[in-house]
Amino acid sequence: MESKGSSCKGSLLLLLVSNMLLCKNVASVPVCLNGAVSCEKYIKDLFDHAVMQSHYYHVLSTEMFKEFDRRYTQGRELFTNTFNGCHTSSLPTPEDKEQAQQTHSEDLLNLIHSILLSWNDPLYHLVSEVRGLQEAPDAILSRAIEIEDQNRRLIEGMEKITSQVHPGAKENHIYSVWSGLPSLQMADEEARLSAFYNLLRCLRRDSHKIDNFLKLLKCRIAYNNNC
Amino acid sequence: MKENVASTIACILLLFLHISLLNGESPPGMPEIVSCLSPEKETFTCWWKLGTDGGLPTNYTVYYKKERENITYECPDYTTGGPNSCYFSKKHTSLWKTYTVWMTATNRLGSSASIPYTVEVIYIVVPHPPMNLTLEVKHPKYRKPYLWIEWQPPTIIDVRSGWLTLQYEIRLKPEKAAEWETHFAGQQTKFQILSLHPGLKYSVQVRCKPDHGNWSQWSPEHSIQIPSDFPTDDTTMWIFVAVLSAAVCLITIWAMALKGSSLVTCIFPPVPGPKIKGFDTRLLEKGKSEELLSALGCHDFPPASDCEDLLVEFLEVDDSEEQQLMPANSKEHPSPGVKPARLDPDSDSGRGSCDSHSLLSEKCEETQASPHTFHTSGVREKPETPEANITCPQDFQSIPGEGNIHFFHADESKSSTWPLPQPGQQNPRSPYHSIADMCKLAGGPVGPIATLLDKAVQDALKYSKTMANEEEEEKTVEQEVESFFHPKPKQDTVWLLPQEESPLISVKPLDYVEIHKVNKDGELTLLPKQRENSEQTEMSRAPDSSKEYAKVSTVIDNNILVLMPDPRAQNVALFEESIKESPPSLQQNQSEKDLASFPATSSKCKNQQGGLDYLDPTCFMHSFH
Repeated sequence: MESKGSSCKGSLLLLLVSNMLLCKNVASVPVCLNGAVSCEKYIKDLFDHAVMQSHYYHVLSTEMFKEFDRRYTQGRELFTNTFNGCHTSSLPTPEDKEQAQQTHSEDLLNLIHSILLSWNDPLYHLVSEVRGLQEAPDAILSRAIEIEDQNRRLIEGMEKITSQVHPGAKENHIYSVWSGLPSLQMADEEARLSAFYNLLRCLRRDSHKIDNFLKLLKCRIAYNNNC
Repeated sequence: MKENVASTIACILLLFLHISLLNGESPPGMPEIVSCLSPEKETFTCWWKLGTDGGLPTNYTVYYKKERENITYECPDYTTGGPNSCYFSKKHTSLWKTYTVWMTATNRLGSSASIPYTVEVIYIVVPHPPMNLTLEVKHPKYRKPYLWIEWQPPTIIDVRSGWLTLQYEIRLKPEKAAEWETHFAGQQTKFQILSLHPGLKYSVQVRCKPDHGNWSQWSPEHSIQIPSDFPTDDTTMWIFVAVLSAAVCLITIWAMALKGSSLVTCIFPPVPGPKIKGFDTRLLEKGKSEELLSALGCHDFPPASDCEDLLVEFLEVDDSEEQQLMPANSKEHPSPGVKPARLDPDSDSGRGSCDSHSLLSEKCEETQASPHTFHTSGVREKPETPEANITCPQDFQSIPGEGNIHFFHADESKSSTWPLPQPGQQNPRSPYHSIADMCKLAGGPVGPIATLLDKAVQDALKYSKTMANEEEEEKTVEQEVESFFHPKPKQDTVWLLPQEESPLISVKPLDYVEIHKVNKDGELTLLPKQRENSEQTEMSRAPDSSKEYAKVSTVIDNNILVLMPDPRAQNVALFEESIKESPPSLQQNQSEKDLASFPATSSKCKNQQGGLDYLDPTCFMHSFH
């Protein structure tokens, strides 16, 4: 009797441990039941499309930043040194690949969603304030307008993905408030340009984050870690 | 003394300096951080360049700060990256944060610091070249041989998890050639080359680029010998094909040139344009809308009144000898004898559905098919007519559209279409008018008239019957009508002279008959028109002078009724005669029945009142039901 009891306990313990280990592995979470083909295909399409969008989003923001740098702040190292960080820094973000791979998909999706939401307001004001720039080039303005659209599209895409991948998930409404509008409207030209520079730099970085995380999630969820 | 000491010290110092300068010792020059790169977006390495070392052993220290942190770190690894490098391992690498890196060089004599170098790891990714480049000439069955190139991404790059997405590019050239042939390969790790020069040795290279990163270096060259039996492009075949197609083109062009127009006509037959008989397209071109509309028979546009065009038509019979029967076309020029009943707002006949208490609208609803033939022969049911009142069958509209029954037109030489349901049309509205005219103009003898009338009756009945049956027969009927109506020259002249005085019948003042009902068989029930006018009423009451339309003496043209308002005897005689004559002719006729019933009914229903024969409408109603 004792041996039975102890073997029972032992197997229980074993089960517990193995469960814990399995739980730790966030990489293999089947989303589609019984490998339903249409479901898998749909999720693949969703992710492929979202990744395309986010890739283009980052390309646009990079081009916009480089164009601005070329025209207004070239060689003025003052700007690079007075970088104060971005308004989205408060959102908890993985800092490297290991941390990203250990974050649950749901959290990553919510993070992406939050970053996108946080950029809604700044992008709106960016478009209107860019027009006020001295000799604002069309390249910057047109890209600003496009980026605003892309932001909206990506938000929609994220909501679709979330509803598909985590159907019962609570809706995410967290985002960082941006209070940099006054700095974009300052009378002092130098200060104003500095504010623009920071904003575009933050946009470029955040768009890279979004793109990176989405690609991670795509390979993890839609391609089973085998891109 | 003091002076001597001072100068001595100065001399010694100068000497030292001189000696040291001669030795090459000095504080270090300013170092410079040249670049920082990351091969896989997980680690990065910074390399620096030394300034002058001042001839003395110099220490170099690299420091860095992370964004928004005030802690100064020292480079964790000076060796892994090679000489003059600082390697930041995974543990020390944070993405999406700005690093500020600088270094100092120190020697015995002093130190100097470099300019700070800011770096963000995500923007400095430059991968290693792809690995394991393999080349192979493959000879598949049933296909041409080709060069198969395959490679692998650099080992340290994590592509599986999607951390980096790589794109590749290959280039190749014959060993001794000067320029490379580059091909973009996308995200795939294999490539096929089909067109190669046989017998040559080719060199191949490949490189990669991450998303949002920079191109790697080209991989080391790999070479392969193309066998001599490698197929080349078969150009002779293409030359032959080209020549053949050119010849074909030339022949086609020549043929087209010769028979261009006929060919075009053959391939693209001309689309027949719409033609409306009686319609002068030149008017369209000129853009004279008035003339145009008049050609169509519209007097005024927009229509003055819709109602008049509907269904009911009434007869005008001219009373006086001097008066000509008014062809219905001249609305604006009513002859004195014509009772302007049409213009009389109170008159019912002719108002049809609108406000008339004539039963036409009811009839319309009751009966199915072509009771309205007669009406519509006078007036075509138009789509725009107030459909609310009348829900008349489609037969209406099936009345000759194309095969216009040529109606004689008093004033105009053009043949007008059958009265279109347009207000103010010039056409004689009512067949009755024309028939009356015809009667008048035809001359005195009753016989011919009777014959004519007989024929007309036959045709009318036949027509009505066909209308009642199917629309298919309509065409034949139309044809018959047309043929009937198409001028035998004699009749033509007759038709066309409405204005001439004719000594036909002593006509009574014009009077109107209201068509009470028309049944399926096309038999008409006529009602004497209700006259508001006291004068008229008086006249109606007076049996002798009243013009009551007793009989349909005949039907011409399938839709023209000729009613004889004559003294009874004549009427009767005529009528009987027509009745007698009609049956034999009816043998050819399909509507034998109808005709037989018609006179029979009429004789039955004939009511002789005060010398007048008129058909009792109620009688008809019963019979027709």
